[in-house]
Amino acid sequence: MGKKFIKDYGCVVIFFIICVIASIAIPRFLSFNNFMTIIKQASIPIIVCVAMTMVLMTGGIDLSLGYMIGLASIACGIFIKSMGMPIAVGILLTLLIGSAFGLLNGICIQLLHVPAFIATLGTGYIIYGIAQIISNGETVNHLPEAFLALGKTKVGPFTTTIFVSAVVCLIFYYVLHKSTFGRNLMAFGMNEAASHLSGVNTAFVNLAVYVISGVLSGIVGILLTIDVNCAQPTMGGGNYTFQVITGTVIGGANLYGGKGTIVGAIFGMLTLKVIANCINLANAPYYFVDAIMGVIILIAIILENVKNKKL
Amino acid sequence: MSKVILKMQNITKYIFDAYGKPIHGTDVKILKDVNFDVHEAEVHILVGENGAGKSTLMKILGGIIPYDEGSMELFGQKVSFTNPRQSQEMGVGFIHQELNLCQNLNVAENLFLGRELSGRVFSNKKEMYKRSREMLMSLGFDIDPRTKVKNLSTAQQQIVEIVKVISYDSKLVIMDEPTASLTQAEIDHLFEIIRNMVKQGISVIYISHRFEELKEIGDRLTVLRDGSCVGTIDMKDFDHDKVVNMMVGRTLTKMYTCTHTPKENEILRVEDLRIGQGTEPVNIHVNAGEIVGIGGLVGAGRTELAKSIFGARKYFGGRITYLGEEIHGQTPRRMIEKGLMYLSEDRKIEGLVLPMDLVCNISLASLPRIFKNTYIKKDVEEKMAREMIGEIDVVCNSSRQLASTLSGGNQQKVALAKWLVTNPKLLILDEPTRGIDVNAKAEIYEIMDRLAGSGVGILMISSELPELIGMSDRIYIMKQGTISGELTDHKEFRQETILAYTI
Repeated sequence: MGKKFIKDYGCVVIFFIICVIASIAIPRFLSFNNFMTIIKQASIPIIVCVAMTMVLMTGGIDLSLGYMIGLASIACGIFIKSMGMPIAVGILLTLLIGSAFGLLNGICIQLLHVPAFIATLGTGYIIYGIAQIISNGETVNHLPEAFLALGKTKVGPFTTTIFVSAVVCLIFYYVLHKSTFGRNLMAFGMNEAASHLSGVNTAFVNLAVYVISGVLSGIVGILLTIDVNCAQPTMGGGNYTFQVITGTVIGGANLYGGKGTIVGAIFGMLTLKVIANCINLANAPYYFVDAIMGVIILIAIILENVKNKKL
Repeated sequence: MSKVILKMQNITKYIFDAYGKPIHGTDVKILKDVNFDVHEAEVHILVGENGAGKSTLMKILGGIIPYDEGSMELFGQKVSFTNPRQSQEMGVGFIHQELNLCQNLNVAENLFLGRELSGRVFSNKKEMYKRSREMLMSLGFDIDPRTKVKNLSTAQQQIVEIVKVISYDSKLVIMDEPTASLTQAEIDHLFEIIRNMVKQGISVIYISHRFEELKEIGDRLTVLRDGSCVGTIDMKDFDHDKVVNMMVGRTLTKMYTCTHTPKENEILRVEDLRIGQGTEPVNIHVNAGEIVGIGGLVGAGRTELAKSIFGARKYFGGRITYLGEEIHGQTPRRMIEKGLMYLSEDRKIEGLVLPMDLVCNISLASLPRIFKNTYIKKDVEEKMAREMIGEIDVVCNSSRQLASTLSGGNQQKVALAKWLVTNPKLLILDEPTRGIDVNAKAEIYEIMDRLAGSGVGILMISSELPELIGMSDRIYIMKQGTISGELTDHKEFRQETILAYTI
């Protein structure tokens, strides 16, 4: 039992170990306000960590995710502010764009057999280009109060953003761990041929994860826009994608497919934000975070190889 | 008496993980005081059920894993290998069941892999081709060394592997089930090569599950059971029942069970189906409660026919009528919904999801039917899987253990269990007993008989003639993508008759 727990929730253990070390090393770390900051910082990227976990489980990857956030940001800004659409319509359209590009990714990968790495890198740049073109390189500021309220309203100590994140996690916990879709997704990631011959609709699974990734990127684009009260095409971006992949990998998903949990997605990103927080509190240059992320992702993959006895 | 070249004495090996490292806190022995020796220029056969320790013993000899207790003497020298290279340098050649050739290189490049002959600047291709040719010819194998390995048949690849092993000056060659995927004609050729090797003074350790061929090739035979050596006999004294008895520790009453009777109503009719462009059409039918065998060479189109019916590959025209209804645009998913199942030839690649547990593997094909594509009720799923595990007697520690940790025979049972829980009406079994031990085979035959008895139609593809003859009510033989013969009368079910249609 203990062994299985560590295997499944190793990231939770790592999270607490890092928290304990941080509390000892940095006195200011252990405070209610600091924890609220970490949770707030992690809540939005956790949403796309969930998406990335599912994509990695298929053995694929979505490098367009960060750029999709940028397009979603500027698109919802233009829809709601510049074009004056009703907020609900603007949000729906934004998510529709997200799902459309997700579908494009899925089609390239599943039907046209483009390797996921290249397919999503390509669509990522297409998306980035489109975001720049429609924005004319400018940002959209001073968004309607009602729109901002969607993410900034306070309920107790939390903002609504955190609730959106929690709802997404709950929904996908059910989808991934309790539904037949999740089981099919796992089987597909572990053995595509056997799954197909067992009646798993492999094409649907593979398309669906990229559509989910597109929609969740859209949600994150909107939430980030609300957070900074400014829609901009450079929101998200390649660095954001990398951060999300790192968080997901810390959470136990690997790049070979078949493995991943929602709990892992949550605690993976929390761990990453705790590390960033420590660097911040220690007054070290922020770029340490980038370097550390690079180290983490390499170590995580090497550890995975050691665990699989490849090394 | 000829010289003893290998002497393994009281070899003991404790249980280890998949990578040869000991598991702490256990003292389970997988080899118990095994004595095994090989004479110069003999074919020594090693038999035993799956999990009896054959592979472990050979891995020790091949230097893949070390032994824990006992002693090993090779060519009069005490040895204890820590890596395969040492074993290779001593003259031990290991031909694994899964071939280790580079598919995209040609024969000569494979033979000289890692020790290419060099010319002034580049490798000396001319010389390599010449020497490859000589090496191949010395075993009576006439093939252009420029042929890419992927264009060779499995049998030909096997021969290339043998040539490669011999070219390392191997004096003792281990062959792990070399005939598992070969047809009779190819087996005959392989045996000729083995006899040639013996003439050159090479000894062969030959692992096989196929009893028919042992007498023809072997000099002595050693039986392993549960990690112990049961005995070594001279092949002159070979007696089928006695050896089976030694292997399983009891007398196997009957290999083939046949209590079912085919019914009149037809389940499947395939008319003018072309499995490839330009191949002749295929016409077959299967009745309820009938076991229909399909024989033929590997590559004759048997798997292609099965996958065409199942919707797992494209075919080129023809009509398929299933349960009285013409079907089109089939996919595995749709066919499974209709009760038509296909047990694939390769359980590790196409049959099971090895890193998933038994319950998940067994329920995989039934999820849409039982849970309507929504919430998986874990207890319902677990109960269904456990019942099936009990019913067909899968030997496992827990229903939540990973499929990869089971032995071959039990893996095959799990792959079959996945289809049994879907309530099939027609089962296509592609080599249902390949590479599994006699006991498991007999159990699978019993399951097949029981299914046929309950009215399920079974289409069984098999390369093993005794199995085809023993289990089938009717036999089709395939050749070059089409049906070359149909045997309906049990009196015609003879190896020679079937072979005449295959070649």
